[in-house]
Amino acid sequence: MSARRIVPLALLVLALIYPVLTMESAVYQRMGALVLLAAIGASAWNIVGGYAGQVSVGHAVFFGIGAYSSVVAFVHLGLPPIAGAPLGMAISVGLAALIGVPTLRLSGHYFSMATIAVGELVRVLASTSDFLGGAQGLGGPPMPRTVLDLSFLSAMPYYYIFLVVLAGILGLTWWIERGRMGFYLRAIKDSERAARSLGVSAGRYKLYAYMLSGAFTSVAGSLYLCMFGFIDPESGFGILISVKMVVMAALGGAGQLFGPLVGALILVPLEELSNSYLGGQGAGITYVVYGAIIVIIARFLPSGLLSLFERKPVVAQPEAAKPANPASGHAD
Amino acid sequence: MYKVVRRALAAGSALIACSLAFGASAQDAVKIGVIYPLTGNAASAGNHAKMAAELAADIINNGDPELAKLMPIAKGGGLSGLKGAKIQILSADNQGTPQAGANQALRLITQEKVAALVGSYQSGITQTESAVAEKYSIPFVAPESTAADLTERGLKWFFRTTPVSVNFAQAYASFLKEQKAAGQKIDSIAIVYENTEYGTGTAAAIADLFGKEGFNVAMKLPYAANGPDVQPQVLQLKEKNPSVVIFISYTADAILYAKTMKELNWKPTILMADDAGFNDPAFVKAMGAQVEGLVSRSAFADGKPGSIAAIVDALYKKKSGGDGLDDGSARAIQGFLALADAINRAGSTDPNKIREALIATDMPSDQMVAGYNGVKYDAKGQNTLGSSLVIQMRGGKYVPVWPKAKATADIVLPYKGWSQ
Repeated sequence: MSARRIVPLALLVLALIYPVLTMESAVYQRMGALVLLAAIGASAWNIVGGYAGQVSVGHAVFFGIGAYSSVVAFVHLGLPPIAGAPLGMAISVGLAALIGVPTLRLSGHYFSMATIAVGELVRVLASTSDFLGGAQGLGGPPMPRTVLDLSFLSAMPYYYIFLVVLAGILGLTWWIERGRMGFYLRAIKDSERAARSLGVSAGRYKLYAYMLSGAFTSVAGSLYLCMFGFIDPESGFGILISVKMVVMAALGGAGQLFGPLVGALILVPLEELSNSYLGGQGAGITYVVYGAIIVIIARFLPSGLLSLFERKPVVAQPEAAKPANPASGHAD
Repeated sequence: MYKVVRRALAAGSALIACSLAFGASAQDAVKIGVIYPLTGNAASAGNHAKMAAELAADIINNGDPELAKLMPIAKGGGLSGLKGAKIQILSADNQGTPQAGANQALRLITQEKVAALVGSYQSGITQTESAVAEKYSIPFVAPESTAADLTERGLKWFFRTTPVSVNFAQAYASFLKEQKAAGQKIDSIAIVYENTEYGTGTAAAIADLFGKEGFNVAMKLPYAANGPDVQPQVLQLKEKNPSVVIFISYTADAILYAKTMKELNWKPTILMADDAGFNDPAFVKAMGAQVEGLVSRSAFADGKPGSIAAIVDALYKKKSGGDGLDDGSARAIQGFLALADAINRAGSTDPNKIREALIATDMPSDQMVAGYNGVKYDAKGQNTLGSSLVIQMRGGKYVPVWPKAKATADIVLPYKGWSQ
């Protein structure tokens, strides 16, 4: 019992002091911020992709909308980029409703295919729009004008901003998970037909999850823009962005609160380190190593890394003891 | 807990202090970070640019006896201004994404302590990388990225050696004026361009400048580069029959245009192309014999035997295993050499001194590998002497024909096209 409390507490403390521990290495400090940023996107995806089981492979649409809203706030209105974040969220919610109403009726692969199509469509539209800088993209403030531009030399401020945002998203997800909507979503994931027959308004709740997920993904895009200061159609709406969210959540454990964070904790450092130490040769070894590790995890832990910790009690407990443990509500 | 952290921190900072002390020892190599897309869509261009930078470093470090007669920096033995310090290249892969580019720039600056950065082909990636360099006050030299706004950001540490589309337009205008004076019929001009950023941007720059220079741009014809057919465009050209056509195209569409013009049997007086697809080895191989007299642009032409360009081209062929220098790799090597020249004059790896030396750069035309008139930056860091060569297709191969000083053959007009 005590170990169960100490470990999460220690991890929390580590998360809080990480930037201080890595003070001497800008690269590792920044990597911490990148992990959190990726975790924000993947956790946002997790709401609809993990909990509701609607595998969107077009979430880059929302990421791009967030990033472009921020850069447009700067380029066309002269505001600090972060001021575009609420706009991005609003557009994302609206677009999620627009896409969701027709496509969430599709089941299984067809929904994924529809989201890919929308993603590519938006990417092409962005690359022909002069307002959005066309194929060349748009840049944020080259030099910070005020602190509100969120353009810092050190990664530490980004780290804490991202940590707060991630905590907010995870907190909300946790609240949903425990509430009525969480049960509805899991029921829909297990069997939509069964859920409907029990009176769950499946279409409506899938749409809620999709809109919420889109809004938070958009926040990830806005924060990305503040940190990197540049967006073009490929880095905003590219399919790789969508795929990375899916892979991260699946690797850590889709439909689990900390799954996306665990996935980001593995993938982001793996990507950064393998590129840093192997990329300079130009032989593409980075992707070979990256891909191999994903394949290994997918082969041996198909439900994600977090399933490592979940399996044991399930196996150890005799069948009769199961009802006594109400916490095992996760659909694996 | 606190003690452990403090001890870890103390140990860490001690380690870093040690490495700093070693790093500072005299006459170490000058570290230059070179970031290119070594994987992803632009991997081919990126790897060639990386090889070009490595060749430049090799020329400075180990020298080349033939080249040394023409270029003082090629004597070998490293940078004379730094007591013979060698150049050490630290190359990184930006994977063709602005994010990886920025992360690698940060790593090279903070971990590897590079004195300057070079990169990165795609303009968007150059943008995020140079923003990181600016924050850390490290010079960044962009040899290839042509997006106009890169030099409009007011950065203090950003320098660009490549000419941009306005310079190309300028070169075309001067070239055409000369041909007109020489008696060629140049009364109306058509611009045919692919409709994404590259095509529209370049076409706008040309049309704008040509308007000011008094040329009659009679037609502007955008098209989709991945379309299956260009007959409608060629038929329109045939109907209006402009005397000069300028194509701004990628490879597949360039081949299609050359084929379709032959099929429909239409030729202008001067057929021009803006580099890109028409200079692609694939185009030259497939259509070279059918477009005799086609005029294009390049930052590079191998020049007369024994010239700097010809010698470096031969060295590059040896290094790459067959590929000669082309527009991209020539600009890459030129950008790197311009940075090395500045570091040599700075006589130090102190970023401030390198920046001052970059600002004072004044490389003459006779020291160029690429076809520039020299390297000299304006207040925004843009090279004002970046220029292009006009090349002409002769017997299935491009040869430089303009300006005269760099030409190896006289221009032959009007356009001849396919042999009957």
